[in-house]
Amino acid sequence: MNCRRAAMLAVMTALCVGLQLAPRPPNVEATSLICFLTGFLFGAVFGTILGALTMFINGFLSPWGFAGIIMPFQMAGMALIGFVGGVYRKLLGGNPTERAYTKILQLEVSFLAAFLTLIYDVLTNIGWAWPSNTPIIAALISGTWYTIIHVLSNAMLFGGAFFTLVRIIGNLLGENPWNYQKGA
Amino acid sequence: MELSKRSLAIFSLGWLTSLILVGCIAGYYYMKYQNLLQTLKEYESCVIHVNICIDYKEWNGTIVWYNNTIVPIGCDLLNATKKIAVVNCTYWPSYQSYFVDAINNVWKNDHEGKYWMWYQWTGEGWRYGQDAADDYILSPNETVMWRYEKPHYSPQG
Repeated sequence: MNCRRAAMLAVMTALCVGLQLAPRPPNVEATSLICFLTGFLFGAVFGTILGALTMFINGFLSPWGFAGIIMPFQMAGMALIGFVGGVYRKLLGGNPTERAYTKILQLEVSFLAAFLTLIYDVLTNIGWAWPSNTPIIAALISGTWYTIIHVLSNAMLFGGAFFTLVRIIGNLLGENPWNYQKGA
Repeated sequence: MELSKRSLAIFSLGWLTSLILVGCIAGYYYMKYQNLLQTLKEYESCVIHVNICIDYKEWNGTIVWYNNTIVPIGCDLLNATKKIAVVNCTYWPSYQSYFVDAINNVWKNDHEGKYWMWYQWTGEGWRYGQDAADDYILSPNETVMWRYEKPHYSPQG
């Protein structure tokens, strides 16, 4: 990893941890959006490391206390989100910014966010259910409303903000957003 | 507009997510229902079921039944009524009991001489309650009625 990448990773991790620790309604978070976005812009590996690192640090600093046994599951879940960001970028191929596709792409990202958030919640539920010998289905069901808030808020956030952020970062960096993976 | 395989695959994942969430919601309420049934079972020995009727016929022509109302053993009629309706009552020290002034905001009318009277079902017909509502302890499966009326009370009913 070169200096530029390391510096970028440090900044993005700080941003994600800051977002995680900021006061917010329960289960409404922007960290997964940043991880997905980072994976999308800078590659699946970069997104994976960012997701895992963010949840690792969050595990120690979270206002809810030390994450403990759930931490590896949170890391895996967030790493997956970052990874899929990179994979999604690969699946899109060339620059798909034609107008006709915008709504479809927004919907795609929204649906993908819903699915990934559900996976993240399933993983974290396994993280507390498994050591406490609680049936995983029961753990999932008892947290249904938190999961729904998480899934819906992420679906809306991704759908509404993802491509706007891609454009903004593109303008800030002064590069074509579809070429970042090669440059970073 | 033709959707790519990628879009279809992603929309399928979204559809799967919504199915799982709907399943979770159904499971959540099923679990709640089971917990409530369990709680009810635990309290079964401490509660009784009663049927309470509120007759507003002389006010707006309606009669409302609250069948199988669950109340604790030893519950008096006034408290049982408070479980199913908004009751306004006044304590009369001279009688050492409460007088019901209004049920669900239907107030006694001194001018027309209309009051809330209560009856008990004897198996053959309705009979005026012999005690004040707060002095009358309900029995299991008993049927009682509150009627808004001009009383024609006699001790024999």
